[in-house]
Amino acid sequence: MIGTIARKEFSEIVRDGRFKWTAGIMVLLLLTATLAGYQKYSGYMRIQQLAQGESNTQWLKQGDKNPHSAAHYGNYAFKPAGPLAFFDTGISNYAGTAIFLEAHKQNFAIGRPATDQSSVGRFGDLSGAMLLQLLMPLLIIFLGFTAFAGERESGTLRQVMSMGVTNRQLLWGKALGVGTVVLIVVVPCVLVGTFVLSMADLNIVGEGMGTRVAALSVGYLIYGGIFLFLTLAVSAWAKTARTALMVLIGFWAFAGFLAPKAASEISKAVHPSPAFGSWFSDMRSHQIRGLDGESPWITVEKYKVELFRKYNINSIAELPVYWPATRMQKLEELDHPVFDLHFGKIKSSYTEQRRIQDRLGFVAPTLPLRSISMGLAGTDLIQHIKFLEDGEAYRRYMVSEMNGYLSKAAASMNATYSSSNYMRADEKVFSIVAPFEFDPPSLSATLREHRGNFVMLIVWLAAAMGAALFAVKRMSVEKG
Amino acid sequence: MLEAINLKKAYGNMEALKGLDLTVNSGDVYCLLGANGAGKTTTINLFLNFIEPTGGTAKVCGIDVTEQPLETKKLLAYIPEQVMLYGNLTAMENLRYFAQLGGHDYAPDEYRGFLNRVGLQPDAIDQRIKTYSKGMRQKVGVAIALAKRAKVLLLDEPTSGLDPKASNEFSQLLLQLKADGAAILMATHDLFRAKETGTRIGIMNEGRLVQELSTDEVSHADVERIYLEHMHAGDQYSQKVA
Repeated sequence: MIGTIARKEFSEIVRDGRFKWTAGIMVLLLLTATLAGYQKYSGYMRIQQLAQGESNTQWLKQGDKNPHSAAHYGNYAFKPAGPLAFFDTGISNYAGTAIFLEAHKQNFAIGRPATDQSSVGRFGDLSGAMLLQLLMPLLIIFLGFTAFAGERESGTLRQVMSMGVTNRQLLWGKALGVGTVVLIVVVPCVLVGTFVLSMADLNIVGEGMGTRVAALSVGYLIYGGIFLFLTLAVSAWAKTARTALMVLIGFWAFAGFLAPKAASEISKAVHPSPAFGSWFSDMRSHQIRGLDGESPWITVEKYKVELFRKYNINSIAELPVYWPATRMQKLEELDHPVFDLHFGKIKSSYTEQRRIQDRLGFVAPTLPLRSISMGLAGTDLIQHIKFLEDGEAYRRYMVSEMNGYLSKAAASMNATYSSSNYMRADEKVFSIVAPFEFDPPSLSATLREHRGNFVMLIVWLAAAMGAALFAVKRMSVEKG
Repeated sequence: MLEAINLKKAYGNMEALKGLDLTVNSGDVYCLLGANGAGKTTTINLFLNFIEPTGGTAKVCGIDVTEQPLETKKLLAYIPEQVMLYGNLTAMENLRYFAQLGGHDYAPDEYRGFLNRVGLQPDAIDQRIKTYSKGMRQKVGVAIALAKRAKVLLLDEPTSGLDPKASNEFSQLLLQLKADGAAILMATHDLFRAKETGTRIGIMNEGRLVQELSTDEVSHADVERIYLEHMHAGDQYSQKVA
């Protein structure tokens, strides 16, 4: 019975002019977005790899100099993107793509693609994710809003209900019919996307690509199901197809545009990010005065005394380690907790904001889905924060390798230290610093992180189905 | 076959049906006459369980329609004033869909057989319904009733708006169904058709069945005279109340 209803629904929709236009436009946009997105992604990855290679070479070929000066010369970390970034660009347009890594300073990520875009860029990228998040629901609404309301208006609902069909059978049949049409439009595009993906170099940042695609498919399938059942619920509830369409478009605009914007504003109001001026001056003052109120210079002096006692000596000249380098490293390490505290504040404000946005998922299904989508595509905040952390860890490693080398290699120069008499190192020394590698969050961690969002989507689906069942149960066959 | 026992329907204070007692047996064509708002469509809607009665019972083949609405709907076929079908589907597809909804399935030739039997031109069978005239749609409606093997037919002004030829063809189909043993309840304004095709006539006024006639006992003129008498009586009653 359900199959019969689904088949009739299917052939009716497919023969309708509405379908040809909406499906045509949808397929065109999805394919364009997929191919353009892939081109953009591979272009980005080419530049990323070129730039990282160039920067690594520059580090090695910076010329003979003191290793600590080499740490000042520094290096860059360029953020690689996972292949799924072509599908969902996430926050990558607004987050930096590179960090300058140098001694004594933790820098902000730079190179935000959005700053190079015209104001048109504000409307967002034409990405597969954006189309599936915004246009797929619209397609479902267009194909399904007449399901009950239209049949009631044309009078066929009376005819159907006189045949001895239950309301539930009618609901499931229509859901299956409309759902199949939507899948016929979307699935080929997804297959093309998957094929394009299979051409990508998965070794870059591509852990568990198959699982990611599967989890994304499940997420978007549930999301489509939510809109499908909401559409059928409203169509059964509304007196006319017109009303149904108006209500559904209203909800669509709310879920797709208003709710994400509002969620972001609310999260910023609840957990404001630190203002740059006061944040920076707080950090500077901690750096200068010390976290516990003891000046770093005093701490370093105490450290020196400690070393003298340890080696049982009375002068710097007798130290078995090169004092300027050891002191530099000590000062560097005193900065670490200060950076951790203050950059941590920014990080935790963003993380909290994101968490609040996830919690607001009950307002609109687009919120949890968006979060899942960019999470699995590896273009979300968590991925970006991991990049910043990896970059900072690499900076500390690079500086400590250089200072460490210097403090051992120049140990005999303690007595003769002057601004003109210092040790020079060459490429061989600089090469003890291994090239930067980004270690993105693991797939299992990402899935764990988004468990709540998946639960939220399932709750939405259950609620939408419940609403549809309730609406058809008390559905009237009469017009007006 | 079709039975209403003290059947009532009220919308708030407005009583649309004030205790209807009615029986239609197999082989009967019972024609309900009455002005618009007399309660004819309400009666049919009650038998279809599209609306809940506020009193009494409606039974189809002895089964209460509010208790087992799905069972009773399987037994009956409904043909409204305007048989509504899916414009983008062909007659064949519409028929198959409704037959399957009613729990039946046939071979393609059998579907063609039903459509031939109701007099649909063979070349129209595979055309989309949106190209159909009203008469053709009504024929598909009868074909649906045939395919459903319905024991009871509920017709709501099925011939209004049909040209005389189409209307006559429709009546011929009804007579065939009657000969097959169907119980038919038809709401109509067509006194002539009621006398021609009906076996019994019930005149309704303001929610009440005011008189029942056997068509073989009265002439055309009698039917019209009796009908108008009741309508005038109703008017006078209304004026008195006013």
